[in-house]
Order: sequence, then C-alpha cells, then structure tokens
Amino acid sequence: MEFAVEARGLRMAYGEGRARVEVLKGVDLAVRPGEVFAVMGPSGSGKTTLLNVLGLVTEPTAGRLVLGGQDIYGGRWRPNLQRLRREKLGFIFQFANLIPFLTARENVLLSLDLLGVTGRAAAERADELLQSLGVADRSHLLPEKLSGGERQRVAIARALANDPKLILADEPTASLDAERGLAVMQLLRRLADEHGTAVLVVTHDTRMLGEVTGVIRLVDGTVQADEARPVPLARADGEGGFSP
Amino acid sequence: MNLALRDIRYHRFKFFSSVFGVGLLLMVVLAIGGIIRGVIYDSATIVTETGADLWVVEKDTLGPFVEVSRLPEDYYHAVEVIPGVAEASPLAVGMEHVVRPPRPTPLAKFMYQNAVVGTQTMVEPGWMAVPTEERFVVIGYKPGRLGGPPSLVAGRHIEADDYELVADVKTGFQVGERVRVGYHEYTVVGLTKNMVGFTADPVVYTTLKEAQAILFRPDPDLLRDRRRRAREPFAQADTTAPRLAGRVARTAEAASHDTHVINAIAVRLEPGASADDVAREIARGKRLEVYTGPRQVNIQLMGSNRLLVLQLSLFRVILVVIAGIVIGLIIYTFTLDKVKDIAVLKLLGTPGLRIYGMILQQAVLMGVLGTLLGGALEFAIEPFFPRRVEATYGDVAQMLAAMTVIAALSSLLAVRRAMTVDARSVLGS
Repeated sequence: MEFAVEARGLRMAYGEGRARVEVLKGVDLAVRPGEVFAVMGPSGSGKTTLLNVLGLVTEPTAGRLVLGGQDIYGGRWRPNLQRLRREKLGFIFQFANLIPFLTARENVLLSLDLLGVTGRAAAERADELLQSLGVADRSHLLPEKLSGGERQRVAIARALANDPKLILADEPTASLDAERGLAVMQLLRRLADEHGTAVLVVTHDTRMLGEVTGVIRLVDGTVQADEARPVPLARADGEGGFSP
Repeated sequence: MNLALRDIRYHRFKFFSSVFGVGLLLMVVLAIGGIIRGVIYDSATIVTETGADLWVVEKDTLGPFVEVSRLPEDYYHAVEVIPGVAEASPLAVGMEHVVRPPRPTPLAKFMYQNAVVGTQTMVEPGWMAVPTEERFVVIGYKPGRLGGPPSLVAGRHIEADDYELVADVKTGFQVGERVRVGYHEYTVVGLTKNMVGFTADPVVYTTLKEAQAILFRPDPDLLRDRRRRAREPFAQADTTAPRLAGRVARTAEAASHDTHVINAIAVRLEPGASADDVAREIARGKRLEVYTGPRQVNIQLMGSNRLLVLQLSLFRVILVVIAGIVIGLIIYTFTLDKVKDIAVLKLLGTPGLRIYGMILQQAVLMGVLGTLLGGALEFAIEPFFPRRVEATYGDVAQMLAAMTVIAALSSLLAVRRAMTVDARSVLGS
C-alpha cells in the first residue's frame, strides 16, 4: 500500500557557519492512508519544524519527502508548494484559526473555492461535511459565535474539504477540556478511517493516544523508532495505555 | 468567494466609519475644486454673459473691470461705423457700495470671525467687526443695447433713465426696494443671477447716464473748487467784458459737472467678421486698446485671480495626497489586524494574488465610496458657501478615477506587509 506521506532522511538546519543549528537530523517516517499518528517530543525536539516541512512551508535542507506518491523536491523544477498545500494537505490548529470574517460554512467553502470547486457542488460538499461533523445547524454563524469545540469541528471540516492526503493537526485538543479534546481525537480517528486520510497530530496530551495508530517520538531532531518500517508505526511503548 | 467584501461585512463599522472620514476629506477636495471653478466663472461671467465680441478700453489699460480706463463717451459712434461692427455700446463701470443694516447670518458671522481670528494683532483693535458695507460693481449701459443684464430672475429690465436698478440676487436687494447710491435713491426693478465681478462682488445695472452720475459726479466741494479754478483766469472779465463773464461762468459750470465719460465700449461683430481685423481697425490711429472676449477673461482670471487659483489648486493636490495617505494607513492597519488570518490563508494555499487582491479591492472600494460620499456631501453644502462653488459630476468622475489609482497605490504598503506574512507563523505557535 502506498504511503500517504513518506520522509527519508529529512534534515533541516537554520543559520550559517557557527550559527548553524540543525533542528531535524535525518527524520524518517511513513504514514499510510487512514492512519493517525501522534507526534510527541519535548520542547525544542523539532516538532514544529517537522510540521513546517511536512506542511510544505519550509523546504528541508536535505532528504526526500513523498506526499501522495509525489516526490516533492525530487523533480527538476521547484514545485508549486502553494498548490500542493491546497490540494494535498489539510491543517488543523490549536485555536482552530478559522477566518473570522467568514461563517462556518464559508470557511469550509473557502477550501473548495481555492481548488476551483464552486457553486452547487461546493455547497453540497460543505454541507455534507458540516453535517457529518454535527455543526450543520451552526454553519451560518461566524466563528466568534461558536464554542471552542464547534470551531474545532468546523476547522476539521475545512481541513477535509479538499479531500487531502495528509492532515497536519497542531495541538488540536490543547484549547479544549479533556472530554471535548477526546471527542475531537475520536472524530479525527473516525474521519481518517472513513476518508482514508493520514493524520499527524502534534500533541502533548497522552490521554489522546488511545485514538492513534502510533506515536512518532521526536528527540533532538531524530525519530526514536525501533520498527522494521524505517519509521515508527504502531509502537507499543506503553504510553497512555496505547497498544497497536 | 470575495474575501474583501466578506471582510468588510465583518468589519462594517470600522470600514464604513473610515469611508465616512475619507468622504469628509474628499468633500473638502471637491469643494476646493468647486471654489476654483467658481473663481474662474466669476472671473469670466461679466465678459461672457454680456455677449460682446470685443472690448474697447483706454490705451495701455487692461479692461474696465481690472484697471481704470476712461474714454470719451462719443467714441462709441466712431467704433460703430467701422466695417464688421454690428453694435458698439458704451459702458460705465465702477465699484460702489451701500451702507446697509448688518444682516449677516450667524453662519456668515462665524465664518468671518473664524477667517480673521489670529490676525487681529496686525491691525487696529475693532477691525474685526463684521463689515456692514455692501460693495458691488455698477454697470451703466444704454437700455436695449449690449452690456445690460443677460436675464432676469425677478422683476423687469430698465427701460429709461428713471433712477432704477437691476441687481444681482447676491446683493440681497429685493424688487421694489429703494437703495441710496451716490447722491440719489434708486428703485430696484429687477433681479439677475450669477452676475458678479471677478472679485465676486455682485453687479448692479443702471442706465449709462445714471451710472455716470454715480461714478463720475464730483463731490460738491470738488465741484466748487473746479468752478473757481475755471473762472480764475477770467477774474477781471466781469468788469472788462461783462458779456464774456456770463459765458465763462456757464462753461465753467458745464465743465465741472461733465460726466460724459465711459470706461469701455462693448462691441458685437457682424457674423463672419474677423475679430482680429476689426480690433486692429478700431485701434488704428486712436489711443485705444481692444481685447477679444477670451483675452479679457484671461486678463481677469490670470491677472487678478491667478495666485488665488494656483494657491487653491496646490492645496487641493495636497489634500488629495493626504487622502491617499489616509486610505493607505487605514488599509495598512486593517491589514495588520489580519496578519494571522493572512498567514492561515497562505498556509491553506491561497494564491498571493487573491490575498493582495483582497487588500487592493478594499482600498479601491474605500476610495470609490469615499469619493461618492464626498461628492454627495459637497453638493449638499455648496449652497452655504458665500462665493460661487461649482463642483460638477465631472469633478466627481475625475476624482473617482484619481482615487482609484491613488487608493490602489496607497494599498501597496499594506500589500507589502501582507507579502511578508509567513505561513509558518500559525504552525507550532
């Protein structure tokens, strides 16, 4: 089965000469469609940089990144990262980061609009997503009128709208209480299964690990893995009662 | 999906209050444009509305409304017979005033006080009292000939020498009102509109003879002095030549009273006649200066109101630039408020042009709406200006075009800021 995202020897360094700091030191990982991985690690371990590299907003200094079967930096020409982001990626943030001047429905429609999907097809897709996430009746409201949980559900709908290969979720439960946080994780799990979307969730919350396929533990810019797959898939390390 | 309009919908109070501010500024810009046009119209109106093709004045003077020009009254007969001349009409032109009971409106009083505040230390105390003298331009013409009021808004035209006036409505005179001008009382029999001198003083029309009396009749003391001087060389005549003495006395009397002076001759040409050729012919061999209508307007405008027009024009340009800067800064602060949203949009893969287009559209919309509002406000306040203000729809259209460009340029600062927004800033923060 083809990986949704596959990284080999990803390196990322900032600065030059003596000021050069290598944040990612050869990260290997591979995630299949429908798998949900938690990315964990101490502060400064490179989680944000990894997210930036996988989110195609930072070009790695070395390594290979394959997203949905496309070798992003391996081609002859520099890829249009902007287009790749809107076609292949979905993003979920800690504070939802919905566009405040768009209603919940318009936030979802925006993702479709960026792909050129407009009119009835877009409306049906947006309504379907909002319906499946249980916020259809709130779709006409601006984000400021929604609760934190509702905002996050709309953000998930937005992230799914373009039918992405990979969803990058940056602490999606951090601003929610445990119950709502768990609900969001369960939702992500369900949607990953239903849509066959790979999900990488940066989180510090070990209580959420029951909903993930595995944990990618970043330490000092490298992935602590012991699996045959060059990346940590379902790794039973006992954290949070997690088992593969 | 139009992001600009949706952002405006969300920030409607902020946006439309800014539009209101810009609109007020542009109202001032348009009003200044209207004032400039008013000055130009005022400079031209007497000349253009009189309908004369040529203006004949004293040699080396600039015309009856700008400089003192004196001609013998009978000269117009000589002009009238020149080939190509259809009509030559003698005109007496001068400034006069009436002392009227103070009638300024509270707004006019406020504006006057506001205009002179801060300069009172330059002159004697008391000068700030609102003036009660009404100054105007007197034009004397022969009824039925060139030089009279072009049209009336009330009353009737002057028909003969009967101490009658036709006045511009700006004088504040009413039909039937009796006004003392010079040594006589006149009855206002008609009102005309928009007839002002290049200084915007309203015009009153009367017959040539009565205007000559108003403008040229000597003061009684001066009259006595003139008579005495005229008789002086013939002091012994009473005894040596008694019959001559009577003639001398009558001649002196007539000479001292004489008001057969005009300031200009308005000439209408026959169809097809060359203005330049006729002008040359009129001036040939006489101490006369002949100006075409456009030249006379030019003299009045560029000779007298040039600096005022240039000053206002410069001020208008400055205000337009300020309006551009204000729009730029408003849009810039709007953009600063949206930095995070722009970062999210970038992360979601929104093309840069779409984001910058949102900023540009908002700036242009602000400029356009501000201009339309400013135009509407300008038209609303125009009647309250003491001088003629003539803003037109063309001005608003020009301003729309200018503000579209200026707003687009002024949004560049905000676009530049948006370009520097890093999509990474929303990840891991």
